[in-house]
Amino acid sequence: MAPRKSERIMNLAICLLLARRFLDKNHLREVVEGYGGLSDAAFERTFERDKDDLRAMGVPVEAGSNSTLFPDEIGYRIRRQDFELPPIDFTAAEATALGLASQVWGTATLAEHTVSALAKLRAAGVDPDASRLSGLSPSIGAKEAAFEPLWQATMTRTVVAFGYRGLPREVEPWILTYRRGSWYLLGLDRTRQAPRMFKVARLEGEPRPVGRPGAYELPDVDLAQLTRSLEPAPADTSAVVAVRGDQAPDLRRRGERVDRPDGLPSGFSAWRVPYRQEGDFVAELCGYGAAVLVLEPLELRRQVIERLTTIAGGGR
Amino acid sequence: MSTSVEQVSRLLALVPYLQAHPDADLAETAAAFGVTPRRLLADLEVLWFVGLPGGLPGDLIDIDMDAVQSHGRIRLTNAEYLSRPMRFTIDEVTSLIVALRAVREVAGGEAGDAVDSALAKLSTVAGAQESRRVEFAVATSEGGVRDRLAAAIADGAAVRLTYDGLTRAETTRPVVEPHRLTVRDGFVYLEAWSRDRSDWRTFRLDRVTAVDDADGGVADHGEPPPFDAGWLEVRAEAALVSITVTDHARWIAEYYPVRSITAARGGWRIELLVADPAWLRALLLRLGPDVLAVDPPTAADSARAAASEALGLYQALPTE
Repeated sequence: MAPRKSERIMNLAICLLLARRFLDKNHLREVVEGYGGLSDAAFERTFERDKDDLRAMGVPVEAGSNSTLFPDEIGYRIRRQDFELPPIDFTAAEATALGLASQVWGTATLAEHTVSALAKLRAAGVDPDASRLSGLSPSIGAKEAAFEPLWQATMTRTVVAFGYRGLPREVEPWILTYRRGSWYLLGLDRTRQAPRMFKVARLEGEPRPVGRPGAYELPDVDLAQLTRSLEPAPADTSAVVAVRGDQAPDLRRRGERVDRPDGLPSGFSAWRVPYRQEGDFVAELCGYGAAVLVLEPLELRRQVIERLTTIAGGGR
Repeated sequence: MSTSVEQVSRLLALVPYLQAHPDADLAETAAAFGVTPRRLLADLEVLWFVGLPGGLPGDLIDIDMDAVQSHGRIRLTNAEYLSRPMRFTIDEVTSLIVALRAVREVAGGEAGDAVDSALAKLSTVAGAQESRRVEFAVATSEGGVRDRLAAAIADGAAVRLTYDGLTRAETTRPVVEPHRLTVRDGFVYLEAWSRDRSDWRTFRLDRVTAVDDADGGVADHGEPPPFDAGWLEVRAEAALVSITVTDHARWIAEYYPVRSITAARGGWRIELLVADPAWLRALLLRLGPDVLAVDPPTAADSARAAASEALGLYQALPTE
């Protein structure tokens, strides 16, 4: 029954925490409430499971021997300095920020993790209270179904397998990164032996763990820089466009005003805008309709006119 | 995770919590741990049988069960050896650090400094290896814009924004009464009462290029409509439009709030709620030949007209 099991594990944890030396199994079997009355085999099984459970919740159960003469006599203990939250102290303003942080996650599992982190801080005497920051309401969503399994794998350093762009992949997850409203996974694609960035929304099927936790180390590279290098390449050329009035701010803020008075329709100004040849600049320009005209290069102008002609003709 | 693992994790924090909060309220404690009062009672009943090895009556943790049952107050004693909580797990510290980074995006001035120092303190208990496994970045505005708006909210002052509009692709200078800064889907937003429109509007901070003083204070306009419902849904005049696109344009279903997406001949049929015809016009112009059909067909009229107008302007341009 679950309550009995919780009692037994708590008693085991307290016993190990108070131990000044390694305690062997036979001793634990005698003093910890809940192990009495079990057969030898049942005790072995139960004790191993309890120890695994404690480690699964992050309790540092250490195994070792008290004797240098008989190092095979293994016992267990929990060192207090490894177990306890180190002294940590927050000002009132910091505690307010922590309180607001506990309301940020929009996914159930991650919200639970922040709530239990805050409960530990409260247990350590911190009093997080978000009510003072009423004008702020940050939130992080993760609608992607693959997000939580990937979070789990990233935290525990477990290799995952999933399909991406029609190919099966085996990936060592290094970093989850959130930008412009989407989650990305950066990791080592074992199939290709190279770092790759995966858009979490585009994973095909649920990622499956492969092998055991702690299977690899995070590489000692500048991950922020690697993340940037896997993003779209910067502009490699530029165009001159005419923009009507205050319209197309995205183009204007990327570009700079140029002097080009001849033959512009009235109300238009000329701008030099950098872009990438292989990108979808033609589509972007068409999106502005009659508010933006390409002046040069002429090849770009030709492509825009061709696309607009298809749209104007209906073609459907 | 098994129920016992969850329960014992909670108990290891609950015992020091109850010692730090003598005479704690049952409902308040349950809320702090994110569980129901019933679940918390079950936790207390487990603790009743927990204590020092040996299991003699004086060795057990003592809880005044009468006080719990009769007035919902918890008094726990005889557990001095468990007076500090356990270290953070990696899940706990990482989720908290990422959440604080989101708070950092909206907190200006002194509140922002407090977030920075809280982050620095958490990082010392987390270790550098742990805290870098999740990165959180939003499209940033200039810090000055956020600080100005945060100050205006605190002071109850109206401001004039210079705003590079998204749906209409136009720079405007509306006078607004700022209400709240929000992070949603990777962007920071200002929720404000627009004096020009006499209605609530949201503004993306990375598109605000200037904040200037405006006359008058902030009136009480009630609460803005809930952000999560989707800004398209709250407008009564939103029209349902479905467009069929090639596989190449499937990305729009990831970028915009869509009603549904289903496989269709040649690609995908996507249903959208359209509040602003200018937004749909820009989308259709952008997608061009990747749009296979629009329903109702008249929804594509203005895109066709804009393309024709552009072609007319091109004809009048000198060819150099």
